[in-house]
Amino acid sequence: MNSEEISSHVLDKLLKAGADDVIISVSKQDSSLIKYSNNLVNTTKTWENIDLGIFMALNKKIVLTNLRDFSLRAADDVVDKLLKFVKSASPNKEYAGIAKGPFSYKEIEDGYDKKIALLGDNAIDYVEKAINKALAIGAKRTAGVFENSVADVSLLTSNDVKARDKGTHSYFSIRAFNSKEASGQKVGSSRMLNLLDIENLAEEAALISKQSLNPEHGKFGKFDVVFEPLPFANIIDNLGMAMSAFSVEAGLSCLKNMIGKQVANKKITIIDNGMLKNGFGSSKFDAEGVPTQKNIMVDKGILKTYLHNTSTAKRFNTKTTANAGLLSPEPTNLIVNKGNFSKQELFEQVKNGLYITNVWYTRFQNYNTGDFSTIPRDGIFVIKNGKIGQPIKGIRISENILTLLKNVTAVGKMPERVVGWEVEKPVVTPAVLVKDVNVTRPAD
Amino acid sequence: MFKDLADFAVKYALKKGADYSEARLEETSSNSFIMKNGIAEASGFGKINGLGMRIIKNKTLGFTSTNYLNKEKIKKLIQNTINTAEKASKLREEINLSEEISYKNKYEVKQKINLNDVSPEEKIKLLFDAEKELVNTKIKIPSRYISLSDSTTTEYLTNSEGTSITATVPRASFFYLLTVEHNNKTSQRIWQYGQTGGFEFVKKWDIPLIVVNEVKALQNNLKFGIKPPKQALDIVAAPQIVGIMVHESGGHPYEADRIIGREGAQAGESFITKEMLGTRIGNEAVNVVDDPLIENSYGFYKYDNEGIKARRKYLIKEGIINEFLHNRETAYCMGIKSNGSSRSVNYNRESIVRMSNTFMLPGKYSEEELIEDIKLGVYMKNFMEWNIDDKRINQKYVGAESYLIKNGEIKEPVIMPIIEITTPQLYSAVDAVANNTEYHAGNCGKGEPMQPIPVWFGGPSIRLRKIRLGN
Repeated sequence: MNSEEISSHVLDKLLKAGADDVIISVSKQDSSLIKYSNNLVNTTKTWENIDLGIFMALNKKIVLTNLRDFSLRAADDVVDKLLKFVKSASPNKEYAGIAKGPFSYKEIEDGYDKKIALLGDNAIDYVEKAINKALAIGAKRTAGVFENSVADVSLLTSNDVKARDKGTHSYFSIRAFNSKEASGQKVGSSRMLNLLDIENLAEEAALISKQSLNPEHGKFGKFDVVFEPLPFANIIDNLGMAMSAFSVEAGLSCLKNMIGKQVANKKITIIDNGMLKNGFGSSKFDAEGVPTQKNIMVDKGILKTYLHNTSTAKRFNTKTTANAGLLSPEPTNLIVNKGNFSKQELFEQVKNGLYITNVWYTRFQNYNTGDFSTIPRDGIFVIKNGKIGQPIKGIRISENILTLLKNVTAVGKMPERVVGWEVEKPVVTPAVLVKDVNVTRPAD
Repeated sequence: MFKDLADFAVKYALKKGADYSEARLEETSSNSFIMKNGIAEASGFGKINGLGMRIIKNKTLGFTSTNYLNKEKIKKLIQNTINTAEKASKLREEINLSEEISYKNKYEVKQKINLNDVSPEEKIKLLFDAEKELVNTKIKIPSRYISLSDSTTTEYLTNSEGTSITATVPRASFFYLLTVEHNNKTSQRIWQYGQTGGFEFVKKWDIPLIVVNEVKALQNNLKFGIKPPKQALDIVAAPQIVGIMVHESGGHPYEADRIIGREGAQAGESFITKEMLGTRIGNEAVNVVDDPLIENSYGFYKYDNEGIKARRKYLIKEGIINEFLHNRETAYCMGIKSNGSSRSVNYNRESIVRMSNTFMLPGKYSEEELIEDIKLGVYMKNFMEWNIDDKRINQKYVGAESYLIKNGEIKEPVIMPIIEITTPQLYSAVDAVANNTEYHAGNCGKGEPMQPIPVWFGGPSIRLRKIRLGN
């Protein structure tokens, strides 16, 4: 049987057995990745996978499972197991159903690129160009990945949803090294191959790396900091997790009871847009089949809403924001609205501060308060009287996420698209200037 | 299990010109249960069936995987992988594997109570019991998130050198995030338990007692906690803290793939170089090992994912950098044999150098003896926030349950003591090691795509002299 027939078969059987809500999603994904380090390709990887996910609610008991074998017998087996399993499951008294279709959908602009689907071995040429570019700028070593995928997702629900979305994704990362302690990193992501400027990313990473040679130990204290888009996206990604209504309920959010209150400087407006043109996290519909939309999350510093699915929305007396997540609503593309300043103009506003080009290992002491720390890596520079100076190393930002966002004093005008190892949900943000950032370091 | 398919895949790759081929077939069944604020949020069960292959052609490495388990699909993927390897050879790192003995074996982690024989009802009941006990404490706990998961994996590894390993490993884990409130202030803890074996271990954990002890300690800290002293003092770090310390700065920097730069893009490199083998990193009291062979450990295996026999590795021996973690590729690079540290989390991930169970070996003292001669110090039982830089030097641990030590006695709770320290400073400050070893579970992150892998980390309590706590 093909995946459509199996989906219908499973849906029918579950409804006949008394299920209240059923969602069946079929995801087919073909992807490839080239991993390189020390200027050489370490390995080439390819994947071809298919997965059929089943969500069922019966008497408010919620059970999720999957199916990888598309034979009629396997489908019947999984239905039997699901019905047996649900008998001994407990009801989720707070469950409030799934969205009612049918819906009409708009195509994602620049969401599918045949060139990515047909790229194949030619991906190696792109990696070669990027490495050569970084070396030409003066980097000594490079490491990174180039990942391409084609995904085909279908959705069928008991509430009259039938939807399908095909998309391509291309992701490139490069870390250039000039010594063990001097490096620069850039990442790029796109749905269209020609919108991913790999050589430019390589050049920028190499320039940061070259500039960061011979770093000195940094000092602790409060500093005005210019964050590149890459590290600021890391912070916004964490804020995005806190925006989910599920996180608010589970204790994973510093935004609890903050709707209508100031959570960031008035210069900050954050949009979640599931329809973003060429958006890495764009899709026609969410996990319930609701057409994705544009949501203003933070308007001039004021928190306007949480991210919702149908069930969390009912609990919060509001409407779904089309961000399901069957259990936990999640961001699609989080966009920090651009400001007016060039990067140079951001630097010029700093007398004695820091320029941070990347961070990693962001961890929270308390998700509820937003107390966290993160470690700057790759190029970190002192800014003196508006000019970038001495590279430094060995520091940490130990802050509160809401304090940091309230202390944003200027927003850049050149947004970048960031996704990656620590930025799990795509973020589009320019560089920002934040005053009085708490910087710590190990004692001597 | 479709073992024939894996055998076919290995032979077919050779037929198509591969110099080396390896197939790993995985079959996993899993169950999970989530409770949020006293409500059974959702339950789930799942299955994974798939095949992953590593193929070397002209010293170029290719990895491919699929869950379409049919010959035609696999033939196509193998051909594509070989074609790509040929194309990549102009830019490839020369891949050589150390020469190793090929084993044929089969093993299984025994279960007294099979995880799949326990009903979902009984598993959920454990979470309800925990919820009931939490409510009975009368402590204000605005957010309570608890989950219980189990999985049973059978994997079959075969390669073109004659390796044939079949392993069945059942695994259970329990996770919680608790938020305690007092006078409008909150405190949180996240922790995880995990073992390989049957449901007997889940019962033994005593989940209700674990969460109740946790919220009592959090409340006590919120109610009575004082700020930590500012002057340099002595610290007794308990097993949970020691575990994360050795994992981050005594385990990761010893991964040979980091040392040679292979993980440079994301997971990072290491401050350690090959030339540092045999040099001092800490006090003589410090011995750190990585050992996959601990029975029922979360990171247990008898053969790694290249079919190499697992053994204990002494990463730090009496304060000296002693050995790195290797797979066959890094071992060849350094002119030695693999020590069996190659792991992949699922069939669809390339096996890379990983830790298993990393811990500090016990010393001769009791924990009380570590504390009794401290005039002014802090006892850190556990932590919440932590991090370390990507070269594994600059690390931070923020205490959750912590107490002041005064004249050899544990006194009032201390709020968020912060150890912010470099790796050489940390291991040089250890002057005594206790004998109260504990192991704790986690999922270690590494690789692109990311593969969080089950590990234990642990050790006994240790004493650190003259540490200045951070701000």
